[in-house]
Amino acid sequence: MNFWGKVPILAGVLTSLCAGWVAFPWVLYRSRPQPVEFSHPTHARKAGMLCVDCHAPREDGTYAGVPPLSRCAGCHTANLGPTVAEKKFIADYVKPKREPEWAVYARQPENVWFSHTPHIRIAKLQCEQCHGDQAASPQPRPYQEDRISGYSRDIWGYQVAGGAVPGMKMDDCIACHRQEGLAHSCLDCHK
Amino acid sequence: MRNTRRNVLKFIGGAAAGAVLTPVPWRLITDTALLSENWPGVPRPLRGEVSARYTNCSVCNAGCAVRARCVGGQPVSLAGVKGHPLSRGGLCAVGVAAHQLPYCAGRLTQGPVEAAAGVIARAAANCNAATAGTPGAVCNPTESIAVLDLRPGRTASWTYRRAMGAVRNGLYLTAAGPFSGAAVDLSKTHTVLSLGAPVLDGWGTPGNVLATRANFRLIQAEAIESRTASLADLWLRIQPGSASALAMGIAAALKKGSVADGAAATGLTERQITDLAADLTQHGPALVLPGYDCPGAWALNQLTGGWGEAVVARREAPVPEQWKNCAPVTGLESVPDGSIRTLIIDESAPGDYVPWGAIRRKLVADNPVVIAFAWSPDGYRRHALLTVPTAVYPETLEDIPAAIDSPAPVFRLAAPLIAAPAGVVNPPEFVAKAVGIDATNALRERADAIRKAGRGVLITYADGRTRPVAQVTPEDFWKALNEGACWMDTESRRTAPPAMDLPVLDAQPFEHTRMSFAVLAETATAAAAPVSPLMTKLDRESNLRLGRSRAALHPETARSCGTADGRRAMLETALGKCPIEVVVDASVPPGVVQVAASPEVIDICGASARARVAPL
Amino acid sequence: MISERKPAKICRYGMAVDIDKCTGCGACMIACAVENNVPPGNPDATDLTGITWLRVFKVDNGEEYPRKESVYFPMMCQQCGVETPCYLVCPQQAVDVDPATGIVFQMPERCLGCRYCMAACPYHSRYFNWWDPKWPAGMEKTLNPDVAPRMRGVVEKCNYCHGRWHAARQRAAEAGETEISPGDYVPACVEACPAGAIQFGDLNDPTSAPAIAAKDPESFRLLVKLGTDPKVYYHSKREWARRIGDPSQAPSPKEPSRG
Repeated sequence: MNFWGKVPILAGVLTSLCAGWVAFPWVLYRSRPQPVEFSHPTHARKAGMLCVDCHAPREDGTYAGVPPLSRCAGCHTANLGPTVAEKKFIADYVKPKREPEWAVYARQPENVWFSHTPHIRIAKLQCEQCHGDQAASPQPRPYQEDRISGYSRDIWGYQVAGGAVPGMKMDDCIACHRQEGLAHSCLDCHK
Repeated sequence: MRNTRRNVLKFIGGAAAGAVLTPVPWRLITDTALLSENWPGVPRPLRGEVSARYTNCSVCNAGCAVRARCVGGQPVSLAGVKGHPLSRGGLCAVGVAAHQLPYCAGRLTQGPVEAAAGVIARAAANCNAATAGTPGAVCNPTESIAVLDLRPGRTASWTYRRAMGAVRNGLYLTAAGPFSGAAVDLSKTHTVLSLGAPVLDGWGTPGNVLATRANFRLIQAEAIESRTASLADLWLRIQPGSASALAMGIAAALKKGSVADGAAATGLTERQITDLAADLTQHGPALVLPGYDCPGAWALNQLTGGWGEAVVARREAPVPEQWKNCAPVTGLESVPDGSIRTLIIDESAPGDYVPWGAIRRKLVADNPVVIAFAWSPDGYRRHALLTVPTAVYPETLEDIPAAIDSPAPVFRLAAPLIAAPAGVVNPPEFVAKAVGIDATNALRERADAIRKAGRGVLITYADGRTRPVAQVTPEDFWKALNEGACWMDTESRRTAPPAMDLPVLDAQPFEHTRMSFAVLAETATAAAAPVSPLMTKLDRESNLRLGRSRAALHPETARSCGTADGRRAMLETALGKCPIEVVVDASVPPGVVQVAASPEVIDICGASARARVAPL
Repeated sequence: MISERKPAKICRYGMAVDIDKCTGCGACMIACAVENNVPPGNPDATDLTGITWLRVFKVDNGEEYPRKESVYFPMMCQQCGVETPCYLVCPQQAVDVDPATGIVFQMPERCLGCRYCMAACPYHSRYFNWWDPKWPAGMEKTLNPDVAPRMRGVVEKCNYCHGRWHAARQRAAEAGETEISPGDYVPACVEACPAGAIQFGDLNDPTSAPAIAAKDPESFRLLVKLGTDPKVYYHSKREWARRIGDPSQAPSPKEPSRG
């Protein structure tokens, strides 16, 4: 076969590669913004709050994750600033007492057991080491989820050209556990 | 380049090769697997804060102390409270999954609530008018309105007595039999002769029975190889239905009379019966425990020396004085036949299931009104005119009467762990209100009366403390009871129960006829109440128990009935028939049908019955 | 995937079951199903197709009345310690033996349902989800969040209540410890047994009940000749019952099987 004979093959390969590496991720992931344009810097820097002021541990030691509406409504019964986002938040959620449908980037599937307690109490990790510096981002990035499996892109999907986004994939956990000599068996993290 | 087919094929080939170098095929495989793991068919557990809450189990009279593990307030698993002096941390197979009862398929949540209230109110008014001789009264002055309480001894029972006391010709009925107001003290017992009672299989308080097991020698006299018979120190295989005859034989032996009749009826030798009688007197204190078909045998304990030792009188927990002016306790048996116009059956806190025939004969022949309070569709709802839905453990707030093996009076509440659905009623309050009495605070009044009497101790489960009740304020007492606690009387004076007459029985030798003998099995757990669907683990997904609607036959009996293992058949008695599935088991004696007790089966079998198994 | 450094503390969790105390009440079987989100049996399920991670059998001495004696025999995964058969045959590596606890851990999310492990297990302790798990409406609220529910078509088995082990590890971390305190981790069957017939503990701890049972001459294990080193020690004072563990001498169980 001469060169011109190979062109369709190469064209096929190239089309496939583009479809697979560019178009497929674009189609596979469904993106949606968070229900509220929450600004971490405003709360962390301007209001001087710490992570645990909102993302607090419960009585039994487990972490409640995203705070319930009552935590926000504790301060935001009326507008504290000039932003439209806050006005919208109070009108749509605080007044009608409706919980915002937060999308949790790091929500692990049902078969994973994760507990914040040993990571914070024993390993003394900082929130930013796994969750990234939330105080730096002016507003939460959109939540991307896999259309077929329903998992968040953070926990199941490679960012080939997406920039450094803190991942919560099993590989990220394993890398650190292996380094610390704590990866013994599947039972450590699965249920 | 030309558009030829070959070029198209080359393109497709190249694309396929390229696809393998992309994540697409691998991603699609794994994502499809993940999709199948997470589709709506697979449920997700709730998340939330984990906490412990305490209560007492009200599925039966044992009232075992319970620690519930709750997620976001919803109980997800139950366990016993170790160190409790009665239940000792034990929970039975039913109690361990009882938090699932509210969600059982078919559980009743809707019913003719207003209609029932109206019917009861009118019936009460009619009875009052009739007995007052008012002209135009609708009901006959000899006809009555009655409440049949299937679990007597509760505060609710007092409410029913007060309600019926407010109505002329109002009756408060129980089917408890001749032995009430008395209890068994297993810690003082050295020999137990059980005439078919399921001692090791749900009788009494399981934790207590197992903790005291080493104290006594257990002799089980039973026709079939029940769980208790297989574990007893001695199993006496008697003919079906001859437990009463054995009791009479032992009574005769103790009085140095002839045991020939007893031996002929039971199939034992005369020597066995005299040895048994000697055993009971020499290795005492002895306890004779009747099974479901010979309640009169309690009286035998008066002859063995166990009366006042192994069998003792037990008072109820203190009751407010003003309640005592109320209807007396009447046995269902003693009511004249055909005299009840309106019958209210409280099946919300079930005890033993009374065969429908025994109830029906007490009702007037034409158009009696039967109102059942139930949460399960399987019991008296099949016979009642109106069925009013009620709450079920662990939605209920109710007290649990003392168990048969608790010699000390106790008072404990089953506190609600989850909210009852809208549309269900609280039966005693409902009935009381319909006849014009307010009983909404009955439990609080009872607790206050107990606190006022000043006796006994309060055992709280959350902190494991035991304090004399006099050291606790009435408010704290009520609060503690609602958060998982138990009041127990500490007076150790033991007295004998009131004397009982020995039953007189015409002992007949057992005859093998073409009709087999139906023996009820699994009486303790199957008949009491519907259970969590997880019970299939015990009776369908394993062979540990005989499941409902199943009957076990000896291989020869099955052959002679024309049926085989796994086939459907009809169990027929003189009282009716019901469909069953046949199980062939060589350990069942020939000529006996061992059928799992359930309301349907008990209705047609009664205490013990001749039965036929016909293939379908 | 496994790191080179061995775990700081190596436990070998095992059980000691006194079959003289077991009354066959089945509370352990139900508690196991409640704790591990095992679905209620499908209407078509039988004792061969149902899921009973823990199953109590009735075994007798082969005699007739009046010399007949019976025991009730709880059977769960024996957590084979040596040459674990299911671990060796799984094509998907859906079974993992944890060096820190000795628990043979089944991962249904990796399982593809070939059931090779069920054939390999000499103790019949593995169960297949023949049907979709279905609970009556509303009963999903009572599921345990510490254990993942399984889908149809995968194999599952007793993992010594790994959810409770995780919870014990979290409580230990809460208190600043890296190791759990021994009494804090108790499987559901052990907690539920009203007779106290099932005991649990670390075989490497000489004071634990299983370690003591291991040394007791009246204890026995099942099918020891296969060399799987099961970690469940059964105990009985009766000689005929002790022969249950050896198939060449065992009395024949009369329990019917309706598959």
